Amino acid sequence: MATDAPVIAKRNDMVPALALLAAIAAWAVPGLGHLLLRRWGRALFLFLAVGGLALAGYGMRGEIFGTHSSDPFGALGFVADACSGAFYFLPRLLEASGPDVSRAAGDYGTRFLAAAGVVNLLGVLDAYRIACGRKS
Amino acid sequence: MFGTGIQLSHFAAMTLFALCVSVAFACLGRLTIAGRIKYALWSLALFLVIGVGIAWLMYPFSR
Repeated sequence: MATDAPVIAKRNDMVPALALLAAIAAWAVPGLGHLLLRRWGRALFLFLAVGGLALAGYGMRGEIFGTHSSDPFGALGFVADACSGAFYFLPRLLEASGPDVSRAAGDYGTRFLAAAGVVNLLGVLDAYRIACGRKS
Repeated sequence: MFGTGIQLSHFAAMTLFALCVSVAFACLGRLTIAGRIKYALWSLALFLVIGVGIAWLMYPFSR
């Protein structure tokens, strides 16, 4: 039993690194953190939910907030949008015509994009907690 | 990819939003498949009922 102690200590040292890796992967691609942790169902449905919100947001020509906003709401919008990981970097591909918030649909699209980021942030926290062993 | 943009009605946009968020909440909040389906359906129904209810409450103030 005494020989198991170094192995357990080494495993405990690796937990923060694994949790950080899972969190970064979960941010970069929605569901990837859960995929690394072998939570297949969560990975798939999280990807579909975040992807659905982001694609609908881009489809409705919602606005993605940039890094240098002049007001606090713009800064909050940037934080929410940036949490969607890879989907934050897709507007040039998916929104060739650019955002159009002069119509109601464009305004809804902006909310969809922010919601995609917030939902992905929940996924990041969930992956981190699973990797830490605080959640099954 | 989407050209001039997707045209969705207010209700369709709300339903799509509610569906995506309900699925995410269910898969993060419940462990079993049955629990997830039940949670997602309840959440979706509550999103829609409360959304339409708030719309009706605001209706007298729209004119």
